[in-house]
Amino acid sequence: MNIMEIQNVQYAYDGKKKVLKGINTQMEQGKMYAILGPSGCGKTTLLSLLGGLDSPTSGQILYQGEDIAKTGLADHRRSHVAFIFQSYNLIDYLTPMENVALTSKLPPLPILEQLGLTAEEAKRNVLKLSGGQQQRVAIARALASDAQVILADEPTGNLDEDTAAEITAILKESAHKSGKCVVIVTHSNELAKEADVILQLRRGELQTLSVSDLEETASQKRRASQKNQR
Amino acid sequence: MNLGTRAVLYTVRKWKKTLLVFCLLLAITTLVLSGLAIADAQEKQAEEVRGTTGASFTVSRNTATGGWSSDGGGSYSTQEYLTTDRMESIAAINGIEGYNASIRTILCLSDRQGQWLEQMEPTGHAIVDCQFYSYGCINSKYHSLFLSGAMVMCEGKTIDSSVKNGIVISKDIADKHDLKVGDTIQAVNNPLSDDKTMNLEIVGLFEVVADKTDERNNYNESSYYEYTNNAFVSEAAMKKLLENYADVGYASADFFVTDPERLESIIHEVQKIHTIDWNNFLITANDEVYQNISNALSDTGTLITTLIAVITAVSMVLIILILSMSVRGRKRETGILLAAGISKPTVVLQYVLETLLIAAAAFPLAYLSSRQAAGILGTLFGKTAENVVVTSQHFTLTATVGSVLLIASVLVSCIPVMRLKPKTILSQME
Ligand SMILES: Nc1ncnc2c1ncn2[C@@H]1O[C@H](COP(=O)(O)OP(=O)(O)OP(=O)(O)O)[C@@H](O)[C@H]1O
Ligand SMILES: [Mg+2]
Repeated sequence: MNIMEIQNVQYAYDGKKKVLKGINTQMEQGKMYAILGPSGCGKTTLLSLLGGLDSPTSGQILYQGEDIAKTGLADHRRSHVAFIFQSYNLIDYLTPMENVALTSKLPPLPILEQLGLTAEEAKRNVLKLSGGQQQRVAIARALASDAQVILADEPTGNLDEDTAAEITAILKESAHKSGKCVVIVTHSNELAKEADVILQLRRGELQTLSVSDLEETASQKRRASQKNQR
Repeated sequence: MNLGTRAVLYTVRKWKKTLLVFCLLLAITTLVLSGLAIADAQEKQAEEVRGTTGASFTVSRNTATGGWSSDGGGSYSTQEYLTTDRMESIAAINGIEGYNASIRTILCLSDRQGQWLEQMEPTGHAIVDCQFYSYGCINSKYHSLFLSGAMVMCEGKTIDSSVKNGIVISKDIADKHDLKVGDTIQAVNNPLSDDKTMNLEIVGLFEVVADKTDERNNYNESSYYEYTNNAFVSEAAMKKLLENYADVGYASADFFVTDPERLESIIHEVQKIHTIDWNNFLITANDEVYQNISNALSDTGTLITTLIAVITAVSMVLIILILSMSVRGRKRETGILLAAGISKPTVVLQYVLETLLIAAAAFPLAYLSSRQAAGILGTLFGKTAENVVVTSQHFTLTATVGSVLLIASVLVSCIPVMRLKPKTILSQME
C-alpha cells in the first residue's frame, strides 16, 4: 500500500527558477526507491520535502493519506521518517550507542551488532570510526526509530565500492525484511540497479526508468566518452 | 534520549568549552558579587556620614537692615537680637536636633578663696593672667570649637539649659590649680566695677585636640586666644554676670539638623515662621563639610556602580559572543537534531540547560571566592576589608539576574540559526 504520495509538488528557492515543476508519484512500504539525476537537478530538494525539512511551494505531500503540512512537519520528522546523509551526520559528543538511542527506545547494541559493529566500537567516540562504520551507525539510528520511511541522500557517496555494496544491501534488507519504505538519492547506477523502483529527476520532472533504460543510458554515456577520447 | 541527558553529556564531554565558560562565569560573578558588597559598604559609609557629619544653619541678626548707633565705645547695630522665644520656635521644627547660641565675654576667674586663676602661660600681670575667654552657652556640645574637633570633653558633662550655674574649663587649667569636676570657682566680668561675682560649679573639663598649626580651626601661633584659656558657662549665669550691660543678646544661633540631606527643606520651613520678622535676620546654611564628604562619597559610589555596570556589560557581550560562536559551531548538530524530529524549542532548551548547568557550578563557587576577593578589592576603594561583606542576598540577586541574562544570551545566540528552515541548516552545513 502507498505510504507516501507526492501530488503536483512544485518548488522554487525564494522566487527563483522552479527546481521542481509538478512532481507526482507514490511510494510503498517494503520497497526501495532510487532517485537518479544530474547534479543540481533537485534530488536533495525533493528528499527534504518528503522528509518535512521544508514545505513545497505548491502541491501536497501525503503520509498515509494525510497532508504532512497539516499534521505538522516536526511531527512528521519525529514519527514517520528517518534521514541518512552522505556525511553520516552523527552527533560527535555521543557514542554510536547514544546516537542510536537519540530517537529510539530500543536497546541500541543489538542493532549496531547486527550491522557489523563490535561492542567496543559501539562505545567509541564516533569520530574514531571509519566512514563505513559511521554510516552503519547512521543506518542503525534510522532503523531503530519508529520511522516507516527511510530517506537516504547519497548514503554511499563517501564510501569505497565494497563498503557501498554492503550499505546498499543493508538498506535493501531494511525494505524487504523490515518492511520500510527506503528512498535513496544516488549518482550510482550500481546502487540504482538494486532498487525496486528507479526514478529519474530531469528538468524538474520525475520519470520511472527500467533497469534496461538504465543500461542504455549508461552505454550511451560510455560511447560518448569513448568518442571524446578519440 | 531526553534533552537533559544530552545536555549533561555535552557538558561533560565537551569539557574544554565547559571549562572556558565556567571560568568566565566564575570570574564575572566573583567580580559582580564583590562589586555589590563594595557598593553596599559604600552606601553604609555614606549613611554613617549623614548621621555623624552634622549640618547646621545659622540664624543671625541682619545688621544691614537694623540701623546703627554710636557712643563712647564705638558704633553698634541697633538691630534686634534673637530672643529665647524666637530660638525655641525655630528649634521646634521637625528635624532639628538641637541648637546653640553663645554670649561671649572675658571673665576673670578665681578659686573659692578669691585667689585669681592663672592662664597657661602667664604674663606676670595678675589682672591680665586671670582673664578667660568665655562663652555663655545654651548647649555647649554644639559649640563650633567642639564640633570642629578643636577640643573634646574629657570629663564630666557639657553645658546645657539643665545646668544652672556651671562652668566647663580646660583640663590643663584645672590641673594647674588642682581643681576637679564638682569644685566651685568664682567668676566676674569686670572686677574693677560693681559687676556681680558668682559661684560656678565645674561640671566638666575639656582637652584641646587642635594643634597650633591647625588652619581649619584658625588656631595658629599668632592667635591671641589660647584654647586652653577658654571657658563655657551656663546661659543663666552668664546673663546674671552681665546684668549691668544693656546691649547683651544673642547675635546668632546655630541650629543642627538630624539629616543633612534635609537641611534645605528645613530652612524653607524656618522661613515660614511668621512670628519672626525675616527682614531682621539672616539664615546661612553650613553644610560644606557634609557636601564635600558626601560629594566625594557619591563620586566613589558612582565609580563603583559604573564599574559594576561596565563589568557586567562587557562580560555579557563576551558571553553572548562565545555562546553565539558555540551555537553557530553547532549548526550541524542542530540540523541533525531537527532532522531527527526534535523540535526547535527542545533544541534551544538543551542549549539553555547546558549553560545553566555550568552556571549552577560557577555561581556557588563564585559566592565562596567573592567572600575572599571582596575584601581585597574593597581596599582598592578605600574600604576596610571587614566592612565589605558578600551576603546571601547579593548571591540570590546575582544568581537570579545572572541566570536570566544567561538564558537571554542563549536565546539571542540561537535566533540566527533557529530562524532558518531545517533544510537550510542542513544544506549550509555540508
Ligand atoms: N538554499 C538554496 N537557495 C537557492 N538555491 C538553492 C538552494 N539549495 C539548492 N539550490 C539550488 O536548487 C537546485 C537543486 O539543488 P539540490 O541540492 O536539490 O540538487 P541535487 O540534485 O541534490 O544536486 P547534487 O546531486 O549535486 O546533490 C540547484 O540548482 C541549487 O543550486
Ligand atoms: Mg544533493
